[in-house]
Amino acid sequence: MTQDMSKTRELVSALADGQLRGEEFARALALIEHSEDARAQWQAYHLVGDVLRSDELAADGTRDAAFAARLRQRLQQENPALQSRDAIELIAVGAYTSSASGRNHAEDPGANDASLRWKLVAGFTSLAAVMVVGWQLASSYGTVQAGAQLAQAGAPVQPVAAEEAAQAMIRDPRLDQLLAAHQQFGGTSALQMPAGFVRNATYERPAR
Amino acid sequence: MKESSQPAVDNSDALLVERTLAGDQHAFELLVVKYQRRIQRLIGRMVRDTDLVEDIAQETFIRAYRALHQFRGDAQFYTWLYRIAVNTAKKFLLELKRDPLVTEAAFRSGDEEDETSRPGNEPTTDETPESVLAANEIVQAVNAAMEALPEDLRQAVTLREIEGLSYEDIAAAMDCPIGTVRSRIFRAREAISARVRPLLEHQSGKRW
Repeated sequence: MTQDMSKTRELVSALADGQLRGEEFARALALIEHSEDARAQWQAYHLVGDVLRSDELAADGTRDAAFAARLRQRLQQENPALQSRDAIELIAVGAYTSSASGRNHAEDPGANDASLRWKLVAGFTSLAAVMVVGWQLASSYGTVQAGAQLAQAGAPVQPVAAEEAAQAMIRDPRLDQLLAAHQQFGGTSALQMPAGFVRNATYERPAR
Repeated sequence: MKESSQPAVDNSDALLVERTLAGDQHAFELLVVKYQRRIQRLIGRMVRDTDLVEDIAQETFIRAYRALHQFRGDAQFYTWLYRIAVNTAKKFLLELKRDPLVTEAAFRSGDEEDETSRPGNEPTTDETPESVLAANEIVQAVNAAMEALPEDLRQAVTLREIEGLSYEDIAAAMDCPIGTVRSRIFRAREAISARVRPLLEHQSGKRW
């Protein structure tokens, strides 16, 4: 075993002990992923560790291998479900920012730039849209302002007596006589509801 | 019989989980190879049928894979996996108890969550003389390799695998640099697995 090979294999041992971080960790994982020998090494190291801790953890190799192979198949069926979330995140991030090559395509020229002058057309269209929207906003702003002032001013209060004096009589005077004759029962208060009971209470007050 | 359930504690599992969540399924397979024997032994405490043990272990890893994004790293990965295995086994047992065709022989009566108290060397239903022999061969190979190791290598790998010490602690105990510890542990593992790997290859017909 050469010195380099030995160092590489030592990475797997250190990984098994949780001693690797950063680049070494990534290297060890890549090694195990791509080297069947490194995978066998990983399996053997853990089996040895298990057996050193307890004899009964010594399983026969057939069962271990079959278990791992079967589980791998099931994991491959599971994988899309787990990866879909990652895929969505990757798409969300990658679609705008960059491609797989790490280059941003947002600033690349379009294939039809030269012939159709899309940028110019898009610019004018955007400007027109902004002006129309701005005009509409300005108009509606004026309307809203007027509405707000009306609301703040409230309805103008007119003196009732002066109003009555100024206005012509528009109802039959006999109706007023009838109402005056039956004022005790038909009176209404400022609350616009019959208020005969108030007067009754006043009338029933015992005299001294 | 040695019986140390003290696993080597490290946080490389969390890094492997991160890699898996980033879409690297190989990282999860490393975790499977690392823990499959312990999980199967745990389930073997609860279920007697070896086929069922394997099915439940498979289901355990699949569930763990699906729920991996919930692993926060607050506890050790094995602790998290252990709970999944126990819950999965209990669910299987409940379903099996409703099945009138399943015999009592499929169940174990002991404390299902006691990982350290195996009921003797009671054989499981699917253990064959060949599988028992294969496991014994591995145990003997490991023990023989350990005895043949130079003292410094044996001490280093024992402190790591059986006592679960960190490289720093081993370096302090052996009064040597951490790099030397890493190298000694690696050489010890290589020497032991050199005896084990031919057995695994012979038993499985192919490597992992």
